[in-house]
Amino acid sequence: MEIPQLHPDAAAGVQAYRAKKELLAPLGLPPELPPDWREKALCKFKELLQQRRSLSLYMDICVRCGACTDKCPFFLGTGDPKNMPVARAELMRKVYRHHFTAAGGVSGRWAAGEELTDTVLKEWFTYFYQCSECRRCAVFCPFGVDTAEITMAAREIMASIGVAPKYVTEVIKKAHETGNNIGIPEAAWIDSCQFLEEELKAQTGLDIKIPVNQAGAEVLLVPPSADVFVNTDTMMGYARFFYAAGISWTTSTYASEAANFGMFLNYDQLKKVNLRMLDAARQLGVKRLVMGECGHAWRAAQAFMDTLNGPLDFLAPPCPEHICELAARYIRTGRLKLNKSANDGLTVTYHDPCNLARAGGLLEEPREILRAVVNDFREMPANTIREKTFCCGAGAGLLTDELMPTRMNGAKPRMEAFRTTGATHLAVPCAICKAQFPVAFKHHKIEAQVVGVMDLLGRALVL
Amino acid sequence: MTVGLLFISCVAMSTLFLSMALYVAMAIFLGGMGWRIYRWIRTPVPLKIVLTPGPQKFPGVLRRLVGELFGFRALAKADRSLWTPAWLFHVSLLLLFLGHLGGLVIPHLAQTTLGLNEKQFEDMAQVVGSAVGLLAITMLVWLLIRRLLLPRVRWISTFSDYFALVLLLLIIATGNAMRFMGGLNIIQAQRFVAGWWTLHPVAPPRDPIFAVHLLLVCALLIYIPFSKMVHIGGAALFSPTLNQRNNPRQQRYVNTWEKNNGNSTASS
Repeated sequence: MEIPQLHPDAAAGVQAYRAKKELLAPLGLPPELPPDWREKALCKFKELLQQRRSLSLYMDICVRCGACTDKCPFFLGTGDPKNMPVARAELMRKVYRHHFTAAGGVSGRWAAGEELTDTVLKEWFTYFYQCSECRRCAVFCPFGVDTAEITMAAREIMASIGVAPKYVTEVIKKAHETGNNIGIPEAAWIDSCQFLEEELKAQTGLDIKIPVNQAGAEVLLVPPSADVFVNTDTMMGYARFFYAAGISWTTSTYASEAANFGMFLNYDQLKKVNLRMLDAARQLGVKRLVMGECGHAWRAAQAFMDTLNGPLDFLAPPCPEHICELAARYIRTGRLKLNKSANDGLTVTYHDPCNLARAGGLLEEPREILRAVVNDFREMPANTIREKTFCCGAGAGLLTDELMPTRMNGAKPRMEAFRTTGATHLAVPCAICKAQFPVAFKHHKIEAQVVGVMDLLGRALVL
Repeated sequence: MTVGLLFISCVAMSTLFLSMALYVAMAIFLGGMGWRIYRWIRTPVPLKIVLTPGPQKFPGVLRRLVGELFGFRALAKADRSLWTPAWLFHVSLLLLFLGHLGGLVIPHLAQTTLGLNEKQFEDMAQVVGSAVGLLAITMLVWLLIRRLLLPRVRWISTFSDYFALVLLLLIIATGNAMRFMGGLNIIQAQRFVAGWWTLHPVAPPRDPIFAVHLLLVCALLIYIPFSKMVHIGGAALFSPTLNQRNNPRQQRYVNTWEKNNGNSTASS
């Protein structure tokens, strides 16, 4: 990937739509910018500095060595210097230096501090919503400075004064109202599952169930809701797998969403959205919790669930488990009968979703599945996969139309890496990537298709 | 004018002034670093945010931290043309620190530990010290040129980044000047240091470059805790993305601020 020249302010004009009071109020946020917003924001900033070592440490220790400057997909795609991870973090650091350090108070401009003003706030809202919290920069930082932590803190501060994007708040509101991010009511969920059952019957001649709200099932599967309506092959892939493995399972209409957009707004919502899955598991009396193909959902569940709303001792370990972990375990122990040739004709490569690859390291299981079910599987270049994977360009609340230029630019490094493989299919276990890539393929003039890992497994299963 | 400068340099080189400056600088350095590190340790880490590869057990974490601390491994993955001068500079700085410790603070102990006679010890100090001094200044110049010439790095650089580089350059340049111009009486320097740290200050060597060198070091000591230089406190050791174990599903991880302050969901 060629590193672009600097184009200052190239991405400055791309901004998310602001949420209005009907979206802010239900989430417990101020319905509009309070007159004393500056004091309130600084107060929140101070509170977060005292609550999160990541934030206070990462404000202090960056030496601006520049190791991260060519690592962010949004910088590589736009050339906007404020999309370099260190520069993005400096948007917050300059305010930190001005308001919270001795040097900022004593030596003013020499300390590169800046007062929190309208202009700075606008800059924050622009650039902290051009970061997908993908954490690629952190992998290359000598101190592990994690821009996602800084972005999350900046977003939390903004949310505390009623500055939040329409898209993210709308999604969280829907998740509270309907149990999922698309806003599908219970009846439609049941309907769609029945429709997919009929589809499975037509494909296989078998009665493969997609159970809903079935108390006493062994497994509660929480998929991203898009799997039921858009990526239906993935949903049918889960169903085929559970059928072949002989595991009793269910979905829940109370927690019909794996994705946790709370992570893209504030800690409070992260926790509330997360709780729904555990309440559903308790209510249905399931023994295990399995997460579907969704990237950040996996980070929120795997790394945060127990801390946020645990203990999880009423569920069997490993809790939660990723569908790819479960399927790979069944493949490894020879409990599935597979016919690889069902996927012949496809040349498949694998995209590591940021949050599977960098948080927790779910690197091998999807590849184990793909090697077992696809004859022509190939990798993208080594510096673009595994923990060095490039974001699809739409994570962390960026999957909205008004941010399209940012999204397409952010997808550029991934698209270029994909192009080198000559693959026809891009396998990816993440609903956001699945929504982003078809658009990005078109934009970057690539003829290829996106599939889920479980789609390919489902096709190869001998039932 | 000349009289004034002469007066200032006399004061600067006087026993009391240099010793006191170093006491004050050292106190600010130790106090400042202690305070900063205490604050980092005291601040809670609410969630598991460890980065891949996240070792599951402590020995793995230790290996990771040692690799970062002594090998700059993440930096090596990021950019070899930065890793090379950065690593060599830090290694030479460490060697210079050890050299000052061995040559000035504990010369007799260092000499006997290494099993050398006085002549051999001085010869070794001359050779190693010169080489490392030159290495350090070369790497610093490299880093400075890189900062000035690479557009991306220049764009992110602040006054503090240049200030730190120039300050270090001057310190090492004055150090090298004393070594290569042969102006420094090493015995006097050893006496001064011994007197200083046993709290019985004696007269410093009568060499203006020595005074400048020492005062710049004082400036550095004072600057460190209040700037990005604070990273010498072992920043990577405290960084949750690097020092956590990747075991959130094996062992329950508790958010301490939430435990102490009650449930945040209820309070908001």
